[in-house]
Amino acid sequence: PLRPLRAKPVPKSSGASRRKTREPEIASSLIKKIFSHYVKMPVARDAFKIVGKCSERYFKQLSSDLETFSNHAGRKTVEMDDLEVLMRRQGLVTDKMPLHVLIERYLPLEYRKLLIPVAVSGNRVIPCK
Amino acid sequence: SKRRMKRTAPRSTLRKILKKHKPQLRLAANTDLLACLFYFTFKQECPGVMIVHLNYLLFLRRLAEEARTNAFENKSKIIKPEHIIAAAKVIKHFKY
Repeated sequence: PLRPLRAKPVPKSSGASRRKTREPEIASSLIKKIFSHYVKMPVARDAFKIVGKCSERYFKQLSSDLETFSNHAGRKTVEMDDLEVLMRRQGLVTDKMPLHVLIERYLPLEYRKLLIPVAVSGNRVIPCK
Repeated sequence: SKRRMKRTAPRSTLRKILKKHKPQLRLAANTDLLACLFYFTFKQECPGVMIVHLNYLLFLRRLAEEARTNAFENKSKIIKPEHIIAAAKVIKHFKY
């Protein structure tokens, strides 16, 4: 028996306009995915909310740190140096753990593929400048 | 599960978040060799954004490790909110 055709529910019109005014934040699904990947343990649902809160605080701190470092160098632009100094201060970049190793280890393969053969192997590989 | 985590960066979101906190602050385009490599790799994308993403990944990794330790100490088989709250307090070097 054929059921009568019913009109599809109209998408809520408020959706698009609300999206524009929303505060920028990392998608909770992405936070969940990354955190679960690293934690390797079951996570209570309400615990992810805390991770989101921590992320917000992290970005607030990061922004002001980057501002401090670039201002200290007399700039209004964040350069790669500022980012490297930041990561040294965080203890992530050390003499034994250079930035490019972290890049190779943590950034996705498609980004690393080009970096690995060149970044480590020396002076002049890529036509730059 | 052996499935690889998707780690592509939400680049425009990262930019927007930084802009929200520090509207006048800009992320530089390619300036040195490393930056140049990124510039080359990401086809015009600012390398700084990728390093910010990397930093965020490492932050979440550290948070996860600390939370795990807390859960183990409390003999909990599941990560609870209090484990993460305690972990966040320990991570000093992300908020000197």
